[in-house]
Amino acid sequence: MAHILVIDDDEQLLRMVGLMLERGGHTITLLDNPMEGMERITAEEPDLVVLDVMMPLMNGHDVARQIRNTHGLEDLPVLILTARSQEIDREAAIKSGADGYLSKPVTAQELLGRIDDLLMVSKPEVKRPDQGLILALYGMRGGTGRTTIAVNLAAALRQQSHQEVCLLELGVSGGQAALHLRLHPRSNWLDVQNGEGLNWSVLKNYLTLHPSGIRLLAAPAVPQAPAGLTAATVSHLLDLLLENVTFVIMDMPTVLNESFEMIMNKADMALHVVSPDVVALQTAVNTNRLLSQLGIKPRYKSHILNQTVPDAPLSVTAVERGLNARVAFHIEYDRNQPRALTQGVPLTLTPARSTLPTVVRRMADVLWQRVTTES
Amino acid sequence: MSSRHLAGKNIISLDLFTDAYRVTGYTTVGAGGIQAELANPNSNYLELKNAYISRIYQPGDIIASYKICAFRKDNISFILLQDRRDGIPIGTQHGPSIFTRGRIANAFVTVPAFEIVGDIQHDGKIAPRDILVQSPGSFQPFFSAHASAANYPEITYGGDLILVHKELIGIFCLNSNKKQ
Repeated sequence: MAHILVIDDDEQLLRMVGLMLERGGHTITLLDNPMEGMERITAEEPDLVVLDVMMPLMNGHDVARQIRNTHGLEDLPVLILTARSQEIDREAAIKSGADGYLSKPVTAQELLGRIDDLLMVSKPEVKRPDQGLILALYGMRGGTGRTTIAVNLAAALRQQSHQEVCLLELGVSGGQAALHLRLHPRSNWLDVQNGEGLNWSVLKNYLTLHPSGIRLLAAPAVPQAPAGLTAATVSHLLDLLLENVTFVIMDMPTVLNESFEMIMNKADMALHVVSPDVVALQTAVNTNRLLSQLGIKPRYKSHILNQTVPDAPLSVTAVERGLNARVAFHIEYDRNQPRALTQGVPLTLTPARSTLPTVVRRMADVLWQRVTTES
Repeated sequence: MSSRHLAGKNIISLDLFTDAYRVTGYTTVGAGGIQAELANPNSNYLELKNAYISRIYQPGDIIASYKICAFRKDNISFILLQDRRDGIPIGTQHGPSIFTRGRIANAFVTVPAFEIVGDIQHDGKIAPRDILVQSPGSFQPFFSAHASAANYPEITYGGDLILVHKELIGIFCLNSNKKQ
């Protein structure tokens, strides 16, 4: 999350941009007088400045030039946001020293995406680990919020690490991740079904890019045969992703097909999502037993208890006793989640401090620390 | 839409061009868009708020800005808009408006200091004279258009709609091969 200073003489637009940025999880300072701009920038040391061009007394180009000419602010990212929308206006913005340019009207996704890009470029590069990390979120019972956690974890990891994060939705009962992210994927895993001739540049075309930077390989919108993708195709996909992506998050199918077994054996971490009710617990216990019988042993395995309804029929202790294992992460019911799904904005991409984003951010912290420590 | 709604009125952002200047600003229009304001017989002037002025040959540099600015309508070469709905009424559920019906033709026109290329839509004979005489108002809509400065062809401006002052058109060429 960054501290962003916005300068625009139009108070209405200033408030609107401020709201977009706050919803994107950023801390903001709003300023309607460009003459005070340099003073406030020096005093508040923001991570990025958003500038309008058309302001009286001092236009945005002049402010950008001043920033560039001030010792210590040469590298401060500057984004010009203006109603002047011609190509020559973009050139003028870049010439004045701005790092980016957006024309009004702008959507929250465009603005936040551009800001993330600029912040990422300006950050000292964190060395990408030699190989990516595969995180498999699984559970044989539907409705436990597995996709919700996968999407939020992908978003939190991307924000935390600024590394490439790819979310693979391997479900066969109809894709949902695109809904969580308000995306309209043109491709899904059916397009990579035979896997022939697939390389990173081809695969990238099948991945839908979210403004936050997450890449999604969506599941088909309509339910598919339980076989899903072949193990060979998934294996090839994972090899390609591991070479190019730091975090591969697999939202696993709720059926035990051949690719399921292969992924579980390949995953660096398997996260079993369970909800605190009797049926989910029974399914989880039987799943653990079955995986053990089949000799499926992920390198590291832990349980996430996700409460998807306000009143949990079972306590954490009861679930732990039933599983005969400790619950690593407990997400209490989050009343903001239904609205987040309707709006298509994962809670970890908002400033929300409710249960779901708080726990998922903690998970992302743990994972990112692990990657940085190992590399 | 680049406009904001205010009690039946829209505040729209536009680029207005004379033969030497580009002025960017805001104006308030009703349901008829800027075309209706331009056709208003009660005033020879168009008012722009928060006007930012650039010279044509240095279009990115703002040389002056004023809270309010008035233009003689007969001195405006053309007006550039990023959304056609800001410029003209595009019609209702019952059908297209007078500006958006008829056949489409690709056209090239010149006005002082500029060349403009875009699509014209006309409900009648596709011929320059007929279009200029029969189309409503004193500004001709060009859709998906772009304008180049005649003496600085590398300087171009593009938009969803350009309203060209008919009185200032010097050359008018047409290709009527586009069908609706």
